[in-house]
Parts: sequence; structure tokens; C-alpha cells
Amino acid sequence: MEITNLFNLKNRVAVITGGGNGIGKASALILAQAGASVAVSDLKLPDAESVAEEIRQMGGKAIAVECNVGKDEDLVNLVERANAELGGIHILVNNVGVGGGGRENPFKIGVDKFVWVFELNVFSAWRLSQLCAPYMRDGGYGSIINITSMGSINKSPNMSAYAGSKAALNHMSANLAYDYGQYGIRVNCVGPGATKTAALASVLTPEIEAKMLAGTPIKRLGEVEDISGAVLYFAAPVSEWVSGQVLFVNGGGVQTLD
Amino acid sequence: MKKTELLNDLFSFDGRVIIITGGAGAIGSALAELLGNLGASVVITDINEERVKKVAAEIQEKTGNEMLGLVADSTDENQLRELVDKVVARFGKISGLVNNVGWGAATPIWGSDTDKMVKSYKLNTLSAYNLTKFCMPYLEKEENASVVFSNSRVGNTPSPEFIEYSTAKAALLNMARSMAVVGGPKVRFNTVLIGSVDNGESTLDAGFTVEMLQKINDSIVMKRRGFPADIAQGIMFLMSKAASWVTGVDLTLDGGGRYESKMPKSD
Ligand SMILES: NC(=O)c1ccc[n+]([C@@H]2O[C@H](COP(=O)([O-])OP(=O)(O)OC[C@H]3O[C@@H](n4cnc5c(N)ncnc54)[C@H](O)[C@@H]3O)[C@@H](O)[C@H]2O)c1
Ligand SMILES: NC(=O)c1ccc[n+]([C@@H]2O[C@H](COP(=O)([O-])OP(=O)(O)OC[C@H]3O[C@@H](n4cnc5c(N)ncnc54)[C@H](O)[C@@H]3O)[C@@H](O)[C@H]2O)c1
Repeated sequence: MEITNLFNLKNRVAVITGGGNGIGKASALILAQAGASVAVSDLKLPDAESVAEEIRQMGGKAIAVECNVGKDEDLVNLVERANAELGGIHILVNNVGVGGGGRENPFKIGVDKFVWVFELNVFSAWRLSQLCAPYMRDGGYGSIINITSMGSINKSPNMSAYAGSKAALNHMSANLAYDYGQYGIRVNCVGPGATKTAALASVLTPEIEAKMLAGTPIKRLGEVEDISGAVLYFAAPVSEWVSGQVLFVNGGGVQTLD
Repeated sequence: MKKTELLNDLFSFDGRVIIITGGAGAIGSALAELLGNLGASVVITDINEERVKKVAAEIQEKTGNEMLGLVADSTDENQLRELVDKVVARFGKISGLVNNVGWGAATPIWGSDTDKMVKSYKLNTLSAYNLTKFCMPYLEKEENASVVFSNSRVGNTPSPEFIEYSTAKAALLNMARSMAVVGGPKVRFNTVLIGSVDNGESTLDAGFTVEMLQKINDSIVMKRRGFPADIAQGIMFLMSKAASWVTGVDLTLDGGGRYESKMPKSD
């Protein structure tokens, strides 16, 4: 492969969920840097719109779409709009994830709460993959990237819903990698360690941070760009022979909240 | 930041000096060419003098970047010490190391012996331990210094037909993880677990037949064995700035693996 093509996503269309902030935003921006047109979706339309505008400002192409990944009609609408307005779909980043703060009481967590975590973290990723795969197959290029978590392999206190859902996401991805592989579609996961986003800020204290760093060989918490770099790797032709993998980006350690 | 400037920066290897062992082989030479193209000064080392000189000269010609081909037997501790001295004398620093040397022949599980087992351990495991140890004082001085290990899928799955090679690679895997724990924050250590890659004669020497290889192609999810460049690209990513918070991981590069079921077929 020509060296300039390794990260070239020109004429590729990427769809991102929760792209208005944090890791989703950083992923949208770096894919756009690589030349992709991006459908930035989020529960919060203004946040998605400001990311899309940032992409346009740097000369890229982007649309903002309001999408609650918990609603099937929103997922269908996102895929239809991305295809119609950007011309196909080649890359999907399932980034939305809820419940990472954990701290559930195992005796009291309600069925609704548990199901809600699985619906947003697992079901939406499966459904969007199913909706996007035909476009990827027909467009001759496909890469699905699911944002999982260290929680998917760690045993963490009071986090069975989130950790269980992320573990399910890992294994579902590995299976979809088999099923979609023959159509040239790759499926991989990126697993962030504690990364400085609004989601983390809401639960982080200086004491927790100090404890996290004590268990982390690379002495800092993650930046969103650390995670989006891995997203780019899986999205781009540079990894065209890589599928079914989980790449943890965690400074070499384990960062737990409790 | 202007479009693509960011990407150029993330994947630039300008000013970095990288040693690749077994560098005259398929994967090592593909990596040397890629890193050279991205701006690195690369030192390839190999036991095969003729090939290492030839490959270095060819790549230097293609990339326009300095490429040094040095002869060293990775199983000889003294030659590795001399290698490090030579690189430091020439470039003044070492910013990255790829412990890529390795090989293993098919052996029936009860057909090995002490000599063969130890020989494999020396080539596949000890070589990486020694060279990494000798490079550490220099790596620790560099920004985003990184060590990558060329490992194999036989190193983390039962592989009775490659008992010497697979056990040595399994040891290498855990060695890399251990180094990652103590190596931070200065040096990163990561492993690539390589699936079946076309490296020409070397595979045939290891006991594969053409029929076996065709079967492997068909069974892989991506419907082909890897090119050396596929592996080089994964290693390059792990060494890049984009991966500067990545350490202690094993990244499998195997074309999505093979379709396989643990259940006996019913038909
Ligand atoms: N930040 C971390 O430390 C960390 C660690 C491990 C895993 N992760 C995972 O990374 C992913 C992104 O997390 P983040 O930290 O960037 O979060 P964030 O809170 O910074 O951003 C999440 C974005 O998703 C949007 N969103 C929330 N619910 C939504 C819904 N139902 N439908 C559509 N959009 C919705 C929000 O509006 C927001 O823009 C999640 O899957 C999370 O589990 C994060
Ligand atoms: N090709 C594959 O399918 C595959 C699969 C899994 C893992 N790997 C691993 O990838 C690495 C590179 O493999 P490759 O396919 O490029 O192999 P290769 O056989 O093409 O190259 C290996 C090189 O190492 C050199 N070498 C052998 N013994 C040496 C010694 N004692 N000291 C110095 N150099 C020595 C050889 O001369 C050769 O140039 C190895 O560690 C191998 O175990 C390869």
C-alpha cells in the first residue's frame, strides 16, 4: 500500500454515535482529518452541530443528526440520512455507553436500569451494525469500531450492569467479525482506560486520580486523543488485515473508581 | 490545525533511531521500509550477512533515509552488546526496538528434547530479553520510546505441533507484559500476535506444504494469509505517537482469525 494511503479516508463516510462530546467528538475529528465525511450524531443536537461545524471549518464534510441510540427510529433515521446526504456508509463508531460510573447496589439495582444499560451499550451497537452493514458491503469498504471499556475484562465492584454489557459488546464484536468478514467488513473494539471526559469528571476526585495513577505505568490519565488514535487505526486501511480484536488503551494499568 | 498536518505529526518517525532484529526477513524488512519512509533511521540486524547488507542497501535506496544493516547473531549475548555499542556510536541514541527475530519448526509434541527446547528459548525469548536489557539505558532517555515484540498466535493458543516454538513465544508474551509494568512511564512495551503471514521459503522450511497453505488461506476470515506489510503497519501504529498511552497490550494481527468450532461436526 502507498504510504499516503495508509490513513486515507477520502471518499469514505463515517457514522458516529455520541459524537458531540468526549471520545466520540475526538473520533469524529480525527476521521475527518483523515478525509472522511462524518455523520456526527448525539442525543444533544447542538453538541453534534458544533462538532460538525468544526469539521466544516477545517475544510471537511459533515452533518449533525439528533439520535438517541435507545430509539430504533432514531437509528434508522441516522443511517438513512448519512447514506443520502454523504453518499454511502463505510465506517461506524458505536461510541455511546452509559453506566460507567457504576456504584450500583447489587441488592437494589432495578430491572429497568439493568436492561437500559444493555439496550444502550449492546443492543444499539448490534442494531446499528446491522443497519450499516449492507451499505459497507455494497460500498466495498467496512470497518465497525465499538468503544468498550476496561470494565469488560476487570472485576470491578458494584458495576455488574456496565461491566457485563461491555463484555457482551466485546464478544458480540468478535462474532460479528466472523459473520461480516466475508463481506469485507471488519469489526474491532477500542477499550479505554480512565479518560478525561465529562463522564469521568463527574466521578473523579483527586484521591481517586492518585490511586488510579499508582496503578498506571504511564503516569497520566487518558486524553480523548489517545482513544481516537486507536479508532483511526481500526477505521483506516492501515489495519485492513485486522478484525475481531479489542485494543485496550489504558497506560498499561487498571484504573478503578472504588 | 490544518487538515492532515495532525496525522503527519502522529505518524512521523523523523529523528527516531529504531533497531529491528531478524531485519533481513519478510516482516522485518517490510517494517524497515515503512519506518524508513516515515522518517526513521533504521538499523536492521540479522545473522544472514549477505541478506542484511543487501536489504539495507535496497531500502535505503527506496526511502532515501539512512538504513544500517548489521550482522549479529541474536542468540549471542556479546554480539548484542556490540550491536548496541555500534548503534550508539553511529547515531548517539536508540528510540525504539523491535524484537522480531524468531523461528520454529514443527515438532511432534513428544518428539522434542532438552537441547531443542533450550535452543528455541534462546532464539525466540532470551534474544529479546538480552537486547532489551542492553537498550534500556538509551530508550529511557527518549520521548515515546517503545519496544514491540513479534509474537505468534501459537504463543497464546495450544499448539502441540510447534512445542518448542510455541512455549518459547508464550514465555516471550509474558515477558513483554512484565516489562510494561515496570517500564513506564518512560518506555512502552507491546506485543503483536501474528497469524499466518506469507514469508516465502521460511514457511516451507518450517514444514508447511503448498496444500496446507491453500487450506489456511480459505479458512481465514479475510480470505488470505497476511502480507508482511500488514504486520509492519500494526507494529508501526504501536510505536507511533498515536499510541503513546498504549502499553502492555497484545494486538492480534491475523486476518480476523479462522472459522473454527469446538463442537464436532454433526454431518
Ligand atoms: N471516559 C472514560 O474514562 C471511559 C472509560 C472507558 C470507556 N469509556 C466509554 O467511552 C464511550 C464514550 O464515553 P465518554 O467518556 O466520551 O462520554 P461523554 O459523556 O464525554 O460523551 C458521551 C456523549 O454521548 C452522548 N449520549 C449520551 N447518551 C446518549 C444516547 N442515549 N444517545 C445518543 N447519544 C448519547 C452524550 O450527549 C455525549 O455527547 C462510552 O462507551 C464509555 O463507556 C469511557
Ligand atoms: N510469517 C509468519 O507467518 C509468522 C507468524 C507468526 C509469527 N511470526 C514471527 O514474526 C517474526 C518475523 O518472521 P518472518 O516471517 O519475517 O521470518 P523470516 O524467516 O522471513 O525472517 C527471520 C529472519 O531472522 C533471521 N535470523 C534467524 N536466526 C537468527 C539469529 N540467531 N540471529 C539473528 N537473525 C536471525 C533470519 O536470517 C531471517 O532473516 C518472527 O519472530 C516469527 O516468529 C511470523
